[in-house]
Parts: sequence; C-alpha cells; structure tokens
Amino acid sequence: MAHRNLLYLLSLKELRTRYKKSVLGWAWSLLNPLSQMLIFTVIFKYVFKQNPLPGDPSGLRNFPLYFLAGLLPYNFFAITVGVSMGAVQGGASLIKKVQFPHEHLVFSVVIAQFVTLMIELAILTAALLLAGSMVLPWLPVMLAVMCMLALFTTGVALVLAAANVFYHDVNYLWSIVSQLLFYATPIIYFPQAISLRPLVLLANYGPTGSFITAAHNIMYDHRVPSAGRLLELVVLGFGMFFIGVWVFNRLSPKFAEEM
Amino acid sequence: MSDIALEVSHLTKNFRLHSEKTNSIKQLIAARGRNRFAEFTALDDVSFTVHEGEVFGVIGQNGSGKSTLLKCMAGILQPNSGWVKVHKRMSALLELGAGFHPELSGRDNIFLNAAILGMGRREIAARFDEIVEFSGLESFIDAPVKTYSSGMYVRLAFAVAINVDPRLLIVDEILAVGDVTFQQRCLEKFVEFRNDGRTIVLVTHDLGSVKNMCDRAIWLTHGKITGEGDPSDLVEAYTEMMLGNRNRDVDGRVRRGSGELQISSVELFVGDNPEPVKRFRTSDSIRLRLNYQATKPVPKPIFGFEIQSLGGATVTAPCTRDVGLIPEMVSGEGHIDIEMDSVGLLPGTYDIHTTVTDFNRQHEYDNVHLALRFDVMSGKPYETGALVTMRPQWTIS
Ligand SMILES: Nc1ncnc2c1ncn2[C@@H]1O[C@H](COP(=O)(O)OP(=O)(O)OP(=O)(O)O)[C@@H](O)[C@H]1O
Ligand SMILES: [Mg+2]
Repeated sequence: MAHRNLLYLLSLKELRTRYKKSVLGWAWSLLNPLSQMLIFTVIFKYVFKQNPLPGDPSGLRNFPLYFLAGLLPYNFFAITVGVSMGAVQGGASLIKKVQFPHEHLVFSVVIAQFVTLMIELAILTAALLLAGSMVLPWLPVMLAVMCMLALFTTGVALVLAAANVFYHDVNYLWSIVSQLLFYATPIIYFPQAISLRPLVLLANYGPTGSFITAAHNIMYDHRVPSAGRLLELVVLGFGMFFIGVWVFNRLSPKFAEEM
Repeated sequence: MSDIALEVSHLTKNFRLHSEKTNSIKQLIAARGRNRFAEFTALDDVSFTVHEGEVFGVIGQNGSGKSTLLKCMAGILQPNSGWVKVHKRMSALLELGAGFHPELSGRDNIFLNAAILGMGRREIAARFDEIVEFSGLESFIDAPVKTYSSGMYVRLAFAVAINVDPRLLIVDEILAVGDVTFQQRCLEKFVEFRNDGRTIVLVTHDLGSVKNMCDRAIWLTHGKITGEGDPSDLVEAYTEMMLGNRNRDVDGRVRRGSGELQISSVELFVGDNPEPVKRFRTSDSIRLRLNYQATKPVPKPIFGFEIQSLGGATVTAPCTRDVGLIPEMVSGEGHIDIEMDSVGLLPGTYDIHTTVTDFNRQHEYDNVHLALRFDVMSGKPYETGALVTMRPQWTIS
C-alpha cells in the first residue's frame, strides 16, 4: 500500500495527541467506561430493581461485566465514527494543501481507537478472570468479531465523514443517532427480558445489536455465536467496508474545494 | 528538445460561488428546483507544456487563477475538463506552506509531511538533519507549529518540499513571507535545481525574480492565458497593463496638522514634459512641484517630503532646512520646485508624503500622507534586489 508510512504516523499522532495537556492522560479512556458502568449499575439494580440474567452456559451473574462487554465495542463504534468526522474536517489544512489518500485520516482513527479497544478488553478480561470466569479460550473468537466490527465501523465512518464535508448536519445528526442506537443495542438490558417487539428485533438483528450480542455470547455466556450470526457479521463487516470505500472515493476528490 | 516534465491541456476549472454553497441539508432542499450552481470560471481552457530543466513562471493579478492552476497540477483540485500530466516526481508547495498539523511539533510535522509526499521512514530519518538545517529552525523544532510565525511556517514547508528530492518543484508565493536570508537561500536552491536539470514552476508577484530566474512564463488574466513566452517581455507588458489602471485610482489621503499652511497638491514632471505624470523610468530627470496655500502669513516654514517604497522603506526625506532655504514669511499661494537629476530609483511603486513645519520642526502645519503615488519602470541601469542604484561600473579581472 502506498503511503504506509503516512498511515503509521497519522495513527501514532492520533494516539499521542488524544490526551495531551491532561494530567490523567490515558486513564481517561478507562475512567469514562468505568463511570458509565457505575451509573448504569446503580440504575439497573437500585432504580429499576432488576437482577442480571445468568450467562449461558457460563452461569455468570454480574451486571457490570455484562454491561462492559457490550459497552466497550459499542463505544469503539460510536466514538470512532464521531472522531473520524472531526479528523477529516480537521484535516482541512492538509487536504487543501497537499495531495494524499484522504481515507488515511479515517483509517488512522480506526487504528488508534482499535488499540484503545484492545487495551480496554484486556482489562475486562482481567476483571472476568478475577470474577472466576475462565474467558481465555474464547478470546480468539472475540478478536475475530472485533475485526469485523472494525471493518463495519470503518465503512460507516468513511460514509459519514465524507458526507459531513458537504453537509455539516451529518455531524449533529450523528450525535443524536448514536444516542438512540445506544438504547437500541442490548447494552444496559438483557434482550431476553424485554417484551417490546420492535426493540427485541432491533437488539437482536440490528447491525450494532448483532455485534454486541455476539460480544455478549463470547465474553459473558462463553460460547461461540451461532453460524448464522457469524455469517451476518462477516457480511456486515465486509459489505459496509466496501460501501464506505466506494462512497468515500467518489466524494474525496471534491473535498479540497468544499473545505 | 528535452523531455516533457509537465503537460496541461485545455484545463478548465469552475467553482460554485460561495454564497451558493450548500453546507446544510436545509439549504440543499431550499435550493432544489431553481438553478442551483451559479458558477465562476477560475481557469478557462488553459494549455501549456513545461520541459525538463526549465524554470517556468506564472504571473497574473490577484484572483487570476494562479493558485488554482497549481492546485490542479498538484492533484488537489479536480478540473472540470481538460487534464494535467505530471511526468516527473513532483513536490508542490502551495500558498503559505504545505499542510501542517497545527498541534504537532515541527519535528512531527516534518515526518508527517514527508510521508505525505511519499517518503519512507528511513529516508526521512536520513534527511531529517538536513531539513532542519535548511529551515534554520533548530531551536523551535519541538514546538507545535501553531506557535510558528508565517515565515517560519513557510521555511519549514520549503525545507521539506525541496528535500524530498523532486524532479519537478511547484511553488506558490513562498518568497513573499520569508525574510532576506531565507529568500536568498531559496533563490540559491532554485539555481542549484536548475543547474541539476530539474524543473521548477514558480508563481510569484516578485516580477524581478520572474525576469531573473525564469526561462519561460505565462500570464494569466481571469483564468485565461493572455501571454506566453519570454519572461522579460511578459513582465514588461504586465506592468504596463497593471500600472495603466492605476492612474484612474482616486487616492485617499490622510492629513494632519494645524492647517494655516497646507500642501494642496504634488505634481511630478519628467524632463521637459509640461504635463504632470505618475510614472517615469530609472535615471529619468524629474521635477517635483509642491503647491502650497496659506490662509494667513506663516513665518519661517520648513517644507519637506519623503519618498517611501511600498514595502515601507524610506528612500529619502529631505527638507528645505537641510539646504538652508528658509523664507522669512510665506503667504497666499505658491509652489516649491525640486529638481532631481537622473534619479536612481529602481522599478517599483513609491509614495510621497509631505510635511510643513515651523523652523524647529516641532509644530506641524501640515502633514499629508500619500500625497502622491508614482511608479518607476525599468530603465537604465536595470538592477534587482533593492530600491536605488549606485550605477555600478563592473570590471572583473
Ligand atoms: N475553493 C474555492 N471556491 C470558490 N472559489 C474559489 C475557490 N478557490 C479559489 N476560488 C476563486 O478562484 C479565483 C482564482 O483564485 P486563485 O487563488 O487561483 O487566484 P491567484 O491567481 O492565486 O491570486 P493571488 O495572486 O491572490 O494568489 C478567485 O476569484 C477565487 O475567489
Ligand atoms: Mg494565489
């Protein structure tokens, strides 16, 4: 690939500048999901007085761990898409002055966020092990699913980041949509425990729902998702990725003029 | 005939006018139906070829499409029709430097920028010191570039752009912001490039360097090529055209002072021509006439004037006291004539400011900023680089 070095440097920059000028630095990327976990655990347990369902077959009954297993991949998706739009917009000074593959601005965000996700998942794994749940044999499957999620995320990020150059509404729309998606994805609830039909469908078969359900299957239930599910993830991942690349390549030659 | 380095063929570029740009969905919907794109043609059917080893100049007034042309060459803008073919390894340096990331340090930006220009990491590391040295920014290299001055920014950008070893270098207006040392370095580098048989495409408003450096040039007016060929002829035609427009300008004046005695106008005469003019050539003999008006008698006034270049340098600032010309009393109307033989001003635009003060030069009766603006066109001797000529006689032995 041409400009491999550029991709490397951009990703490095993405990782390095993220928490510049902050005292806690990288700790923030962990504190954020932890605080969310705390809030939603309190709400789940004490406000709505719910009990976590057991993992099948793991038998694990732990809301915070269930929550994190869904939240971390979801955050990866939502944050990457949001940051990608900013990265392309913020790359205006580059785009207007030099010719280079603009998609690297998005790819570098995906790579940097993926590194963060891996660190977060490693910590989650440690927490699961402490809770006495032997998750290690399932990690390779998790990694494969996360790779599909990364492809899917890249595709969505490419489409939205390109569209956002032309219509900044996309950015604002995304902050609403990503919030709605958060609740339409089984993160703070168990889909088996709800009866609202459309939500169940969305949670089980919506794009983000599919990835998060698979993540729960692996990290919380300790089983390989069904073949149908895995196939769906592969199709979603590659399909969205290629759509994203196609759309982005059509729009990116016009970026310099629009910015 | 040498190899072709760059071909531009029937290049046309339209922009949507800014007010018509739709950056929100609401505007898009509102704009549906009516004619959506009021277009503006920034480049209109431009064709030319640049050969290997040439220094090629592009001149034209502001907004004539020079930068747009270079951006199309660099592949940053997509032309609406026509094409550009770049046959050599190219490095483009557009207005105010290459794209830098403001938050990153100079060091990181060197790496990033060189990577964008297609260099590998090892290659960059090997040239890093050279780049920093050329930029002369050793002590700032770890500061974020957002803290750089515009000159420093361009220095760094230029240092990177020439160190990626391009066979074709495209530069837009970099000489304008650099200081003298840096301009000198750039020019040296250009010469070195030319001697290596590399190609340079140069956009600049510094017509002197176009004349000196370029082998060939084009002149753009409103996106069309109005002239192509020998840089000296082209620059000559271009300046005549630009300055021809000037006479019609109404100049705004700023006036200070108590006003008993005022300079009502300044006229410039060349040779024996009785008609006042606004331009002359180097080594012409000129006469300045300051017309004054006094509302009441003023004792021992001192008249003075100042010639200043557009860049702000004062070329000369004589006054009547310097030569002991001190009238006891001035009243009514009159004029002061100043004869100046074979004036050694070099081509450019200059302003005259006038002052009338009391004998001690403390009290100001009148001070007119920009009393007259005039242009000097090239005459004999022709020189570049500064404002006045000392009429050097050169011998080399
Ligand atoms: N992205 C853009 N959108 C709309 N119009 C543009 C855009 N870029 C340039 N233009 C217009 O195209 C015209 C040519 O601009 P360009 O920057 O090429 O001029 P120039 O010859 O480089 O001028 P200067 O001497 O001031 O640098 C200008 O009228 C400018 O307003
Ligand atoms: Mg320009």
